[in-house]
Amino acid sequence: MESPPPAPFLDPSRLLDSSRPLPRISLTWWAGAGFIVVVLVTLLIGNKTARAQELVSVIWAGATLVLMGALFGFSFYTVKRFRSDQQRVERIGELVQLRRWPEAAVAVDQYLTSPARTHGFRAQALVYLSSVLARLHRFEDAIAVHNQLLEEGTLDEGSAATVRLARAMAMLREDHLFDADRAINELRRGPLAGSAGLALVEIYRDVKTGHPAEATELFEQKREVLRDQLGHRVADAYALAARAYDLLGREAEARSAFQSATLLAPVAELLRRYPEVEKLTGRYPLAAAPPEAA
Amino acid sequence: MLAVDTAINRVRRDLTLTALLKVALGIAVVGCLMVGPEAVRIIGLLGIASLWLWLSLNSARGSRVAAESPLLIASGQFEEAERNIEQTVRSFSLFRAVKLQSLHHLAILRHAQRRWQESAALARALLGQRLGPLQPLSRSTRLLLADSLLEMNDLRGTYDALGALYREPLSLTEMLNLLAIQLDYSARVGAWQWMMQGAMSKVQLLELLPAPSSARAQSFMALAAKKIGRLDFSDWLRARAQLLADVGRLVSERPMLKELWP
Repeated sequence: MESPPPAPFLDPSRLLDSSRPLPRISLTWWAGAGFIVVVLVTLLIGNKTARAQELVSVIWAGATLVLMGALFGFSFYTVKRFRSDQQRVERIGELVQLRRWPEAAVAVDQYLTSPARTHGFRAQALVYLSSVLARLHRFEDAIAVHNQLLEEGTLDEGSAATVRLARAMAMLREDHLFDADRAINELRRGPLAGSAGLALVEIYRDVKTGHPAEATELFEQKREVLRDQLGHRVADAYALAARAYDLLGREAEARSAFQSATLLAPVAELLRRYPEVEKLTGRYPLAAAPPEAA
Repeated sequence: MLAVDTAINRVRRDLTLTALLKVALGIAVVGCLMVGPEAVRIIGLLGIASLWLWLSLNSARGSRVAAESPLLIASGQFEEAERNIEQTVRSFSLFRAVKLQSLHHLAILRHAQRRWQESAALARALLGQRLGPLQPLSRSTRLLLADSLLEMNDLRGTYDALGALYREPLSLTEMLNLLAIQLDYSARVGAWQWMMQGAMSKVQLLELLPAPSSARAQSFMALAAKKIGRLDFSDWLRARAQLLADVGRLVSERPMLKELWP
């Protein structure tokens, strides 16, 4: 007999389905049924003789002990499972943060292949899945995950806005410029209005759509916010600004911005994130770096 | 503002009271099972169960309130966080973890408010307690303690607090914070060679920190590189730090960095 073909790796629709948490078993009904059984048994025994009274007492004592033991055991088991899931999701997050993409991809695929313990863990793992998919340049798949997350409405306002931001970036990468523009306008009215993340997406849109003047204006206006909020990812903003300055023929500024970008991030990484920056390589020098960093 | 000593004493008192209450309820259950007429025993057991349930529900409500504090601190809403923590500290909870977490949250809040002495006192009080299932909390508490002591220039205390962390498995965030504190500490004691050991691995980790912390830590490494004569490495790190933070602020917070930007 032939074994079924292996499931496709990081298939969003499969993972979205398989990761749905299972409905919880209601213990109240079990406890209620147990209580009724104990009452019925004690009624059947009755309390007419001293021996019957003693037996009833033993049954009640036993039932109380069983209930306490079951509650303790169930709490212990639940907490253990919860912690184990939490650790797995945190581990995936760490792998994404450390940019250990192959390991992150395997871990997130494994985690989402079976039902998640809570909707929160599932949502978090799906966010990591979308990051991995974007890293693999599977932007359509990443957008599908983003859409599903937003449709399900399990995210809080801040997290939903972050997912919208990532979706807008993926849309730009896939040249869905109309959708991206609409998404950016939505983001301007949300909690991320004025944030560095939104500014970066807007700069990228302006570079992609041939509006370098708007891109450089925004970059100069938001330079401090970009630095404070993006950390090392401010390299992205410098790289895009360099491209915008270059399109405007402002070579000195393009050179300086490109040097800043390559000072903070390896050029290969920048090209992977923004293929538009490729046109700058060879034209402007990279930042000087010690041999270990080259 | 909630006084630190009051909070510590209150939490200690409540932990003792809770333990006594649990013992008393346990004895009462045994008593109900062994003494008195059957009807009274059953009523007694039901009464104890109801009391336990009521206390548990109240405590769970307190637990939910307590869980909001870290988010409030992270978003800079210190006054609301203070109110939240005060409410948790002052209300009764059957759950030991809620009380201990409230002390931890207060330590984080005082650290964010740059009240180093108070943060250190709270961290010490928390580490003096039996943490049980909250043991992972001890790592972030030790990091808080180490950082607060470093800000107070207590190098011996910082060394002791850091020492205990080397034996524990750390999460990535904890590892990053530990590295930042280690570099700050090592720069103060002049351990330049250690700072430059595995320099690129350290730099790659530092890239994951928020901009101000990353800039400060890379500046310390730039200083170390300069001290051991690796001027190319020093210049590279110094230029990166410049792009990530305001140099004036870096120097005002850590005057030894003036050597990089005379």
